[in-house]
Amino acid sequence: MALLKVKFDQKKRVKLAQGLWLMNWFSVLAGIIIFSLGLFLKIELRKRSDVMNNSESHFVPNSLIGMGVLSCVFNSLAGKICYDALDPAKYARWKPWLKPYLAICVLFNIVLFLVALCCFLLRGSLENTLGQGLKNGMKYYRDTDTPGRCFMKKTIDMLQIEFKCCGNNGFRDWFEIQWISNRYLDFSSKEVKDRIKSNVDGRYLVDGVPFSCCNPSSPRPCIQYQITNNSAHYSYDHQTEELNLWVRGCRAALLSYYSSLMNSMGVVTLLIWLFEVTITIGLRYLQTSLDRVSNPEEPESESEGWLLEKSVPETWKAFLESVKKLGKGNQVEAEGADAGQAPEAG
Amino acid sequence: MAPVLPLLLPLQPRIRLAQGLWLLSWLLVLAGGLILLCSGHLLVQLRHLGTFLAPSCQFPALPQAALVAGAVALGTGLVGVGASRASLNAALYPPWRGVLGPMLVAGTAGGGGLLVIALGLALALPGSLDEALEEGLGTALAHYKDTEVPGHCQAKRLVDELQLRYHCCGRHGYKDWFGVQWVSSRYLDPSDQDVVDRIQSNVEGLYLTDGVPFSCCNPHSPRPCLQNRLSDSYGHPLFDPRQPNQNLWAQGCHEVLLEHLQDLAGTLGSMLAVTFLLQALVLLGLRYLQTALEGLGGVIDGEGETQGYLFASGLKDMLKTAWLQGGVACRPAPEEAPPGEAPPKEDLSEA
Repeated sequence: MALLKVKFDQKKRVKLAQGLWLMNWFSVLAGIIIFSLGLFLKIELRKRSDVMNNSESHFVPNSLIGMGVLSCVFNSLAGKICYDALDPAKYARWKPWLKPYLAICVLFNIVLFLVALCCFLLRGSLENTLGQGLKNGMKYYRDTDTPGRCFMKKTIDMLQIEFKCCGNNGFRDWFEIQWISNRYLDFSSKEVKDRIKSNVDGRYLVDGVPFSCCNPSSPRPCIQYQITNNSAHYSYDHQTEELNLWVRGCRAALLSYYSSLMNSMGVVTLLIWLFEVTITIGLRYLQTSLDRVSNPEEPESESEGWLLEKSVPETWKAFLESVKKLGKGNQVEAEGADAGQAPEAG
Repeated sequence: MAPVLPLLLPLQPRIRLAQGLWLLSWLLVLAGGLILLCSGHLLVQLRHLGTFLAPSCQFPALPQAALVAGAVALGTGLVGVGASRASLNAALYPPWRGVLGPMLVAGTAGGGGLLVIALGLALALPGSLDEALEEGLGTALAHYKDTEVPGHCQAKRLVDELQLRYHCCGRHGYKDWFGVQWVSSRYLDPSDQDVVDRIQSNVEGLYLTDGVPFSCCNPHSPRPCLQNRLSDSYGHPLFDPRQPNQNLWAQGCHEVLLEHLQDLAGTLGSMLAVTFLLQALVLLGLRYLQTALEGLGGVIDGEGETQGYLFASGLKDMLKTAWLQGGVACRPAPEEAPPGEAPPKEDLSEA
């Protein structure tokens, strides 16, 4: 009662081996693709690690890189095996290794599927690190003369320009922090002194944003300062003005960018996983059909290939029993040794 | 009727020639592909920068010509690969015999001609970029404020995005913005005395300020961007004179764009030159191989020595033969009549 039995004559076996050989080499290419996808994601995460508090998780790109390398190795090995499978002499060398190799392949496929799932599921942690990192980045925006943080202004400006976003959740985040350094404030001016006095912590807060929040699609020159003061600008209503500044927050913008990146990588990995599963099934059929042939001495004869020798529940039972036997086997040997010693003593 | 530039080609040198030709043909295919990519890239760039080039500018003709020349070079390379492989294999050569002659003519005339045209354009056109950019950028800056005028409403967005992406300000520097009204009159308060004064003091009634748009701001500056009152040295307190240039982008967009486009044109030109050389070599090699194999009567593995040549006879003789052949082709009627009359006469005489 084998599972999914298929009859194979010599021609069919040869075709299967050749087809598998070709598929394995395509799979090596696919492994390289997964490797480069992982590398690309790692580089993208590194590029923006300043706004992620340097604490972002590199689990997804690292696992993609690892799976890419493993896939290349396993599939080139499988390609070699399929190439040798047509020659009975060479195949005899590989025969004892095939069953453990297929078990490893099945394990590899399971891990590949889990990695593909991770690509879709791990955006939640990214959201938290982004929120924290952006908040800190905006806090250090004015510290352009503090060593270690002097680049933060440039980073945030370039980020807002490139991703077309402003602030953490919106442009009002800039109203709550002092983003103009004290070094450039004229403390002899009455206006500056009033503002600082009216603030509890002595900070200079304005209802203004940096220039990088400006939207080029606006029909009027950018209004950066006194944004909430309608009378400060001619023909301006800040409630209805939508095109003046970028509306999206940078956290949402970055999150959507990385999500779309990881989603597409997940889709590609799933497709490659399906390809790998097909290769493993083909390899299993090749192995079982060739095993049935090598017993009689006729290489041209027909044979049967199957996925599992018995049906699924029976195979599972047999697997459990062999595991139990392994455990009992040690016990039996120990008893045998004792029994052997006892007659000797006696 | 001496052959032009004959070359003795016994079997071994013939095989070497075929192998070398195969390699050169693959290099030609690669070069053709690279030209296709490069000219495609230049075309895409020109689509984005099209507003900043004057409409009369002929520069887009260069990548278009290079695209066609690259495709022809690719085709020539593939023909070379096929022919050189076929010349090593007796079974594969016969179909190539008839095709190779016309293909060589087409390759020399078409491919060579196109490459020469493209090279010429690559040398001549970048010079016209200067004026085209001058005119195009000037128009774009003048229309910056016209965000409600149909036909020019995109100018503001395009100029802002240009300055943000290419890190430049104005045409030759930020002061260009002082001479242009870049704030639309729609957003000027007519009751503000300062606005009225400025407009009245200007001959053409323009509202000119010493300020620049936000896209001129340089993110590398340590202080928040200073956009207004730039010509007034006391306009901003605590202005650090030691770092005057970091506030705004120092370069003008004219220089940046000119350099960018000239670099691209220069790369394309050098690739065209290399492809021209490769194509000439491949066509020469194919011609020698073809004539040598014709001398053997199309039998590839013959051990005999043959001569490869460029032309069967000198140029004058060739032109004479071509003229005569053309003349014969143009006079069929009188030639056909006598043979038509002769057989019936013979029949009559026999009978």
